[in-house]
Amino acid sequence: MRTLRQTIGSEWAKLWSVRSTWWCLACASALMVLTAVTLGGATATEALRDGGTGVRVVASEPVVSATTFVQFALVALAMLTITSEYASGGIRVTLQATPRRGILLAAKALVVAPVMVAAGVLTGAVATAAVYALLSLDVFGGLVVAPAGQVVPDLLGVGVFFALVSVLTLGVGTAVRSAAGTLTVVFMLLLGLPLMLLMTGSQAAVAAALRMPAFAGLAFMGSTDNVTAGPMPYSAGEGLVWLLAWTATAVVAGHAVLRRRDA
Amino acid sequence: MGGVISLKSLSKRYGDRLAVDDLSLEVRPGTVTGFLGPNGAGKSTTMRLVLGLDRPTSGTALVGGVPYARLRDPLRTVGALLDARAAHPGRSGRAHLTALARSNGIARRRVDEVLETVGMAGAARRRAGALSLGMSQRLGIAAALLGDPEVLMFDEPVNGLDPDGVRWVRGLMRSLAAEGRTVFVSSHLMSEMQLTADHLVVIGKGRLIMDAPLADVLAGSSLTAVLVRTPHAGDLAERLRAAGIAVRRLGENELEATGAPIERIGDLAHEAGIRLHGLRTREASLEQAYQELTSGSVEYGAGV
Repeated sequence: MRTLRQTIGSEWAKLWSVRSTWWCLACASALMVLTAVTLGGATATEALRDGGTGVRVVASEPVVSATTFVQFALVALAMLTITSEYASGGIRVTLQATPRRGILLAAKALVVAPVMVAAGVLTGAVATAAVYALLSLDVFGGLVVAPAGQVVPDLLGVGVFFALVSVLTLGVGTAVRSAAGTLTVVFMLLLGLPLMLLMTGSQAAVAAALRMPAFAGLAFMGSTDNVTAGPMPYSAGEGLVWLLAWTATAVVAGHAVLRRRDA
Repeated sequence: MGGVISLKSLSKRYGDRLAVDDLSLEVRPGTVTGFLGPNGAGKSTTMRLVLGLDRPTSGTALVGGVPYARLRDPLRTVGALLDARAAHPGRSGRAHLTALARSNGIARRRVDEVLETVGMAGAARRRAGALSLGMSQRLGIAAALLGDPEVLMFDEPVNGLDPDGVRWVRGLMRSLAAEGRTVFVSSHLMSEMQLTADHLVVIGKGRLIMDAPLADVLAGSSLTAVLVRTPHAGDLAERLRAAGIAVRRLGENELEATGAPIERIGDLAHEAGIRLHGLRTREASLEQAYQELTSGSVEYGAGV
């Protein structure tokens, strides 16, 4: 327990002592606000064009949709916590300090996850405020609302989603070791494969695609706005279960490789 | 057991290449043990096995009687420098050491102390990627010293250091050993090892070739010879040959005898009543002794 606590302290210090962390967080914040505002504007415009009166846009909804894009800035951050160690050879120094490899991986996950929850909630809150400000303009006829009962769970959901996708990335990065390989695998898992499956149009393929991490995440966050243009075929709770299952699989794979392979 | 590195039948295979082959040895405290061998002989692999970075194919490597991975706060027991460039290029030297210190519950002031010790307090805020090889080497040594460990391992520590730096590392190794610590240092610079090490471990193709005090290695070399000056060189040469000692005539009055200590040469001359004008030992350099030892086990020969 003491070793884990010390290793968490060390990983925390490592995370904040490189510029790439700040860059990734800055990118994620900018991307979050821009994407959410764009999506919010589009949704509102569409609603007005369809002539719907009494249509309401919840300010945090476009933020949830924006995670599909924003996640990649945070994936990069999570990835670097492990792939930069292999790229520089620093992993051998790290493992000298913490030879119990399971503890090292756990410490990295326990540092990354809360940072990502915070990043999700904070950037999400700023983006929600930006969407609210934009859609409060007279042209949109005041169709935006921001009920705390929906905004707060949405933002927490975004934070938890980012945390789980990041830990998934950490697991993949630990198994794959190289940045290029990790990005490829994670991109395929999050976007490439599910889109390919959706394009086949076959019912089984679509069902599988919707249970992959990114869509499971959207379901978990209660998004109604997805590529299939229909409601998710399963509950938010089930979305969380799928997301956890993918994350756990990646971490188990990473742990297995980390324990067995020479550093 | 404190501070002893002990290898028992240690082997490591990578694919079909046996990098370390049934290596057994003990590295003891209080001395500088030089670890020599041609490139690819398995020196770095052996060090990685001791540190638990690579898994042995068979055999064990223990530090103070336990496997490295079982040490609590291992940096407080073993400090090692394997690769000077093994630090995130974007992190400052100071931040690198601070993170290491936290991982092993080492007081933060030690970071400043070791930075001072290695003479890079002024460059502590520079990013590791911007350091010269010599400065990186110093940072790596600082990391090894961080936990004030009783066992130190250095893989080619003087690489990239200027002459002042080389002398400083030599002094550091000597003083660490004098404090009773175990110092295990690999190098391919024989002249440097001759000045630094008390004890030598020589391996070739992963196998132990020699494990002996430096003095014995030098004395055992065929290039260590006794030079004799005498007006009766011919007579003495005959006497020595009759006693089974190899003799070479260097000049009118000079002989070179190999394979016998200086006392025996002097005694033989005395028994024969031959006057001597000079009698001295010419020691082989470690370079020469090493060449003899490893000539059969160079991994990548130059191909004459």
